[in-house]
Amino acid sequence: MVRSLKKGIPHAALLGYLVVVLFPFLFVLFSSVKKDNNAIALNPFGIPKEFVFNNYVEAWVNAKISTYFFNSLYISILSSVVSILLASMFAFAVTRMRQGKWNKILFSLVLIGMLIPNNALMLPIYTIVRKLHILNTHWALIIPYIANAIPFTIIILAAFMRSLPSEIEEAAVVDGLKAPGIFARIIVPLTVPAMVTVFIVNFLGNWNEFLLANYFLSNDELRTLPVGMVQFRDQYQMNYAQMSAGIVYSVLPVVIIYAILQEKIIEGVTAGSVKG
Amino acid sequence: MNKSLRNPLVFTLFILPALLLFLIFFIYPIFSSLYYSLTSWNGVSDTVKFTGLSNFEKAFGDDRFWVSVKNNGWFILFSVFIQVPLIVLFSLLIANVKKLKGLYKTAVFMPSIMSTAVIGILWGFIYEPNIGLFNKVLGIVGIEPVYWLSDERFAMLSILITNAWQWTGFYIVMVLAAILSIPGELDEAAAIDGASRFQRATRITLPLIVPIISVVIMLSIAGAMKAADIVIVMTKGGPAGSTEVMATYMIKYAITNFKYGYGNAIAVLIFIFTLVVTVLYQLLFARRNERIEY
Repeated sequence: MVRSLKKGIPHAALLGYLVVVLFPFLFVLFSSVKKDNNAIALNPFGIPKEFVFNNYVEAWVNAKISTYFFNSLYISILSSVVSILLASMFAFAVTRMRQGKWNKILFSLVLIGMLIPNNALMLPIYTIVRKLHILNTHWALIIPYIANAIPFTIIILAAFMRSLPSEIEEAAVVDGLKAPGIFARIIVPLTVPAMVTVFIVNFLGNWNEFLLANYFLSNDELRTLPVGMVQFRDQYQMNYAQMSAGIVYSVLPVVIIYAILQEKIIEGVTAGSVKG
Repeated sequence: MNKSLRNPLVFTLFILPALLLFLIFFIYPIFSSLYYSLTSWNGVSDTVKFTGLSNFEKAFGDDRFWVSVKNNGWFILFSVFIQVPLIVLFSLLIANVKKLKGLYKTAVFMPSIMSTAVIGILWGFIYEPNIGLFNKVLGIVGIEPVYWLSDERFAMLSILITNAWQWTGFYIVMVLAAILSIPGELDEAAAIDGASRFQRATRITLPLIVPIISVVIMLSIAGAMKAADIVIVMTKGGPAGSTEVMATYMIKYAITNFKYGYGNAIAVLIFIFTLVVTVLYQLLFARRNERIEY
């Protein structure tokens, strides 16, 4: 009796924490199918009495959540892919090519990037983007997102490439491959598992980014999901049922990705932050 | 033996794209911020007027700037003294349960993968005075509605709670990973010697995870110094500037008010303050931060 009670206390505390984490989601999910503010106010905790799915239609069409959604999707994917490409070339050069002290110097230089609080660099980046005449185009996000992900991506990929045995290249050189061939045909295929992890982390980072997206774009058609959602909230302040539907749209893809890939996401994010 | 891997031209071509982006978007901005912090440039005109340290003098005499510094301080204090103990407690609890471990680990991490902007909106709804969750709960116990985000006394606290909700799980997973990597024999040996679960947690596990707790504190401090989007989404710095933090104050000046020089001075101060706080922390508390060998 006492033993099972003792075992029960940690679970009680943890389940309490779980409720605190999950209840806000449930609250929003329930609110998103309630008729109006009144229905939410009368029954804030429970399952809706009648299900109103029209909120989802309204949010997707009228509030242009669909536009924001696809903007976010393509910007996030493109930026993540390009930063992995550039970072893997860099990582390959500094870990597998033989340039003596340069390998170390260049790698250490990039490491510094992990120590810089990138928010504080926002103003100069704003000026750079404006001078390049790409302010208020999607490039204003894509290029800084690529650059921003480079230090973290290089660190993870370089660590992975270092762990590959050096006999691999020796065999390839004997077969007549040059450096680019070794990179493209041998190292990249072997690095895919690390790239997947890094891709997910970068994708989530870009998908969630708010500050640059908010200040570097002014054309509504170009906005990304987080910014679009904030605008939507400001416009439809009083309609909480519709706003909840909007929140569900922006949270759902991330939750699905997370459900499928949670091991890799946790692994990648903790690896990056412990080293940073 | 290996000429093709020594080719300097190929090496340069492989290095260059990433290196250029790094120099343009990381290194150049630091110097650019330093330079413009010494000017009164408005961010657009052709003439850049050099004004020395006057932006910094202005910042030090600016009451609203100090409010934003104080609010960053609240962020730091809240994460170090409220969040970190909770993180350690829940990590130890999760590490010691057998059933549902996977569920706890997966679920607590979930808020950290979501957009801060959307979390700000979600919590804004929870704090809503009339139909939000918090006031409904308070209503049950007969407490008058609280204007969480529009009352100066509660706005900052509301933001801190939301921020803690978002990030606590993230750090729990980090600490948990460290706990689970401790060899089991240590714990078993203590168990054989008759140590209780609580004694083993406080005398064996806790001392061994001090280094990772230190990392968590450092990351929380860094996170607290750059907090911005949560404030912009939830309160826009209001009511009456009471939730302004350094980063939002910087943005407000440089981009909204065209005081680019002054904004950059604040950016430089964010750098300096972060550096000072982390160095102070290292000197005062992180002395025992050596690597632990098992």
